[in-house]
Amino acid sequence: MGKREPITSEFLPGTLGMLILRALARGPLHGYAIAKRVKEASEDALAIEEGSLYPALNRLLVKGWVTAEWGISENNRKARFYQLTPEGRKQMEVEAVEFERLVNAIRLVLKTV
Amino acid sequence: MGRMSEFRNKLRYLSRRERFDAEMEEEMHLHMEERAEELMVEGVDRKEAVMRARREFGSTARIQEDARVMWHFRWQEDLLSDLRYAARAMGKSPGFALAGILSLALGTGANTTAFSLMMEFLFSEPSVERPGSLVTMRVGGASHALMEDYRLIRDSNPFDGVAGMREEGEANWRWGDESKRLHVMRVTDNFFEVTGTPLMLGRGMAAGERNTVVVNHAFWKTQLGGNPDIVGRTLVLDGQPYIVAGVLPEHHRTIFGFGFAPELYMPVVSESERVKLVVRLPEGMTKGMALAAIKAAAASLDEIHPPKDGNLRTRDVEVSSVTGVDRVKGKSPIIAFFGMLMIVVGLVLLVACMNVASLHLARAASRRHELAVRRALGAGRWRVARQLLTESLLLAALGTLCGLALNVALTGIINRVPLPLPVPIRLAIAPDWRLVTYAALVALGCAAIAGVMPALAASRAGVQAGMKSEERSVGGSRWSLRSFVVAGQLAVTVLLLTTGLLFLRNLSRATNMHPGFDAETTTWATLRLVPERYSRDEQIQTALDQALDRLRSVPGVESAAVARVVPLNDSIVRSTTMKPDTGGEVGRVRAQLNWTGPDYFRTMDIALVARRDFTPADRTGAEDSVIINETLARLLFGAISPVGHTFSWGTERNEQTFRVVGVAKDSKYFTLGEENAAAVYHPFAQQGSPGTTLHLLVRSSRDPVQLGRELRSALAGVDSSAAIEVRPMKSALGLAFLPSRVGAALLGSMGALGLLLAAVGLHGVLSYAVSRRMREIGLRMALGASPEAVLRMVLRQSLALVVSGIAVGLLIAVFATQPLAMFLVPDVRPSDPITYLAVCGLLLFVAIAATAGPATRALRVDPTVALRYE
Repeated sequence: MGKREPITSEFLPGTLGMLILRALARGPLHGYAIAKRVKEASEDALAIEEGSLYPALNRLLVKGWVTAEWGISENNRKARFYQLTPEGRKQMEVEAVEFERLVNAIRLVLKTV
Repeated sequence: MGRMSEFRNKLRYLSRRERFDAEMEEEMHLHMEERAEELMVEGVDRKEAVMRARREFGSTARIQEDARVMWHFRWQEDLLSDLRYAARAMGKSPGFALAGILSLALGTGANTTAFSLMMEFLFSEPSVERPGSLVTMRVGGASHALMEDYRLIRDSNPFDGVAGMREEGEANWRWGDESKRLHVMRVTDNFFEVTGTPLMLGRGMAAGERNTVVVNHAFWKTQLGGNPDIVGRTLVLDGQPYIVAGVLPEHHRTIFGFGFAPELYMPVVSESERVKLVVRLPEGMTKGMALAAIKAAAASLDEIHPPKDGNLRTRDVEVSSVTGVDRVKGKSPIIAFFGMLMIVVGLVLLVACMNVASLHLARAASRRHELAVRRALGAGRWRVARQLLTESLLLAALGTLCGLALNVALTGIINRVPLPLPVPIRLAIAPDWRLVTYAALVALGCAAIAGVMPALAASRAGVQAGMKSEERSVGGSRWSLRSFVVAGQLAVTVLLLTTGLLFLRNLSRATNMHPGFDAETTTWATLRLVPERYSRDEQIQTALDQALDRLRSVPGVESAAVARVVPLNDSIVRSTTMKPDTGGEVGRVRAQLNWTGPDYFRTMDIALVARRDFTPADRTGAEDSVIINETLARLLFGAISPVGHTFSWGTERNEQTFRVVGVAKDSKYFTLGEENAAAVYHPFAQQGSPGTTLHLLVRSSRDPVQLGRELRSALAGVDSSAAIEVRPMKSALGLAFLPSRVGAALLGSMGALGLLLAAVGLHGVLSYAVSRRMREIGLRMALGASPEAVLRMVLRQSLALVVSGIAVGLLIAVFATQPLAMFLVPDVRPSDPITYLAVCGLLLFVAIAATAGPATRALRVDPTVALRYE
């Protein structure tokens, strides 16, 4: 794979929240780890910019989909860990289904037209 | 659910905003550290790694701001910008703003003042410590307990303190050569300690004291010259020296409530006195627990000290709070009065709101273009409606603020003006949180009533239509929303005017009504003897005979008589079964009682239609003779002349027989409004004990005001320690006229206010309607319409509006005013057509006056100018 510019989250508005929720599905993470997990999972294709990561996390906090707690990171630093709430998990599934439908629809259009 | 938890989360954020920033900072710092660490693993040296991490991260301040915004309430900021815009819009049309604010200020001023009055009269808190844990109790069914019972309960009970008070006391205050009758609250020596009543100067009475008094602020100020060294001085009361222990603060409210403000608190000295039990409950004791406790205490007292009169203390035990609903229990006429007052001022406010609503509608019409521009630029319909609602909210808030200022001014006057009542009433109305809450609710209500409809109507207008310049419809729909508002306003005004006029007619009728006795040329003198000096009834009788002789010897006096009850000022009623000796049983009769001395009927100019007046021979020991009034004579004996007949009266156990010696013409006994009241007069000498307050009535051919001084000095010769009050009977009737006067003053002024507001609204709407039709009128006149035809057209349109509003109002008024009959004299019926005719005439006149101006202006307009109008 050639060195291509990673896609930043601005490209598909509304999907950032879903990606963060997804990243938290396997357990609590702090902000930097979330960005790293998304980057790794997308094989470096998606990069979450810091400028959108933290506002997005706060939006999820307001909605009550994640909670935050202070803990110790693997590098022995004091870090803020985000964790999915049951509502957050539900929201993640809803958004995933919606996204699936959208992508399928776009794919259909691209194939036939 | 989701919305709610989001709201809660945002609220929680508000309380920890400080921490939020610090945490955010720390979090971002960690992020950069982690990134730098990663870079260092890749081989970058530390300094370079830290710098790159920071560069990649970007502006922390911006990220922090973006994150913070997530927690904000968006409407906060929208509201602020709406308010700014509203203030600007208001500044652009100050006339509109002023008219709206003035209307609302009058409406809310009247409304909140009525509210303040009601709260003060009915629900004010007495001036005591922790009023919540203070209660009054009744045992044995009596509102006031014997002193002996008071002491037993005080010494044997589980409460934190028991005091006693007697609210209807009097005392003669000797001041120089004069004796003045004062109103006194008699209290037990521990009263101030139990209630925790605050004082301005000195202290309350202390345990064991029998010769100290506490004076109220008004008495101290006006009668004692506001002397700051008054504590420790002596007052001569009922011939005894008393030391002033303290002075109450200006805004002192008694436990009795209703503004009752006696001049003095004096100790209970007589053993025969009865006192109301005032009890301090221990911490945590509820009223229910207190009831159980007092019941248990009463039961054990009944056992240990069986009551002498067989009246068990356990009968009808009651515990009532000294505040809130408990105090107004059983005072339904007062509650009904305030209920009516609140409805009336509510209607006035409604009229004011409708004024503002039609102002809003008028302005919305001229702002169509502006609103359409906002819609075209992307503002949603809700957004535009919200903008207009904010404007009406701002207007309502400003109007209510002015109304509150009016409230403070009005209640200040009410606090100062003394009421013409036989007992001292003092109100201490001050703005409090209840008033502020109420005013805020009123403002919201006003904004909703005046703003919602216009806002929805204005935002409904399409962008396309609005962008075009002023609508140029000819004719068009005549019944716009504004017309409906005005018609509704007129309907409410009819209701207001009807009540106002009813009460005004009631006042004039009541003032001219003949009470059945002569109030013009009689004088009423009260002689209060010091009870301690007149312990035997014979002493009182001697003083009475002497007083009457002295009165009769004053030049010009035709007759003088004593009476226990002065009509229209007091009333004693007995309601039991009556049996005439002619057979048959009349059943329960409610009769007004009086005990009168010889010459009473001549003095009062009440005709005796049969036989005789009482004579000195009608005294104790003689046969129980009575004089009855015509109504009772008809009821008991029908067509037979009752003189010489007897009737028995009372219950099975306690039946008395009376011989009728005369029949008196009917007159008014307690209220001017009463009809067909039965009355029984007993000889004054045949009552148990006459008491030491003697009411003497004097008939004279001379001017009663001039006569007063001579009568006073004549009475002063009887006993220098006696308190004397002399007043013309006419002025003493003030109490009887008070309800009609207060009603007329309040409701008449509310009616006038409603009319004023409605007239302003009507004028605005009608002249606006005419000005909108300027073009049409010009066209018609250019095409040859005569001025008369145009005038007819304009008048027809506005009259159609006015007549339909009045018709609806009349329909409502006919039904809604029926319950008012309880406040009116019998001659004035709510269903009286005269009232309605007057109201209709008045409103039609206002409507025609409101139309005439704009209509004639329309006629004078040059057709060529009118066609170019706009």
